[in-house]
Amino acid sequence: MKNNRGAEKLMSVYWFVILFLVAGGIYSMVNSFYGHPYDVREVESNLLSQKIADCVSYGGIINTEIFDGDEFNENFTEIFLEECALNFQVESLDEEYYVKIEFFDLSKKSLFAFDYGNLNFISNCILQEDKTYETLAFCDKNRFYSTKNNEQYLIEVTSVIGKEELNVK
Amino acid sequence: MGRRGEILVENLIFIMLNLIFLSILTLFLLKQGSGAIVLEESYAKQIALLIDSAKPGALIKLNMEKGIELARENNVEQMMRIDNNLVTIKLSKNGGYSYSFFNEVDVDFYKDKAEGLYVFVVNEK
Repeated sequence: MKNNRGAEKLMSVYWFVILFLVAGGIYSMVNSFYGHPYDVREVESNLLSQKIADCVSYGGIINTEIFDGDEFNENFTEIFLEECALNFQVESLDEEYYVKIEFFDLSKKSLFAFDYGNLNFISNCILQEDKTYETLAFCDKNRFYSTKNNEQYLIEVTSVIGKEELNVK
Repeated sequence: MGRRGEILVENLIFIMLNLIFLSILTLFLLKQGSGAIVLEESYAKQIALLIDSAKPGALIKLNMEKGIELARENNVEQMMRIDNNLVTIKLSKNGGYSYSFFNEVDVDFYKDKAEGLYVFVVNEK
């Protein structure tokens, strides 16, 4: 009888050791889950691509400001943000966005391209062609067809979002 | 007789300690999920993304009941600010989280008549 009582006490000590181990496990799991920020850059870069696509070509017709006759209008780069109603100022001093718009003909030969934003992000996108690395800027590429005076063009929009500190720990 | 009473008391203490442990764990989990830091980040990012996806003239309603309640509990007078293209949510005295949006629009917001709802009005700049 005495031995049984001793075993019971020992069991309850082990029971509390197990409970503390479980509590420690849950605490570390919850901390690792809530301790990381939500990464919304994929959604954000998709929205940026859509907005640029709507600005470059609306209803399948290319924005007339982009061309000067048959050539690319070099001034469009300067009015790009205003024309597309974009604001790339962010809370930090670094530029956190990069966009590149490239025009191809139907044989996929590059005709011209223009870009805006933080040029350092280009290397991030090259590195992530095969595999995505969370700690680098998020790159998104979209392609669509559009027309100008019955001529068809393939347009590629690359949008990159930095903001690593706010989205990745 | 005395030993029986002793066993009952021991068992009761054991069960009570287990219950205390479980309730502390449940409270911890609930508090983590609805804490100011988590809500501030999620609201700021949600609002920034909603504004990014909106076109001028859009009217967006967002349920922020939990945030309003938490701000009231923590005596925060102004829980939300939108300056230029920066959304800032503050649900505790020392906290605050900001996230920027790229859409060049003017955003006004106000509390809806319905409890817990905020209305965002997106206008052309």
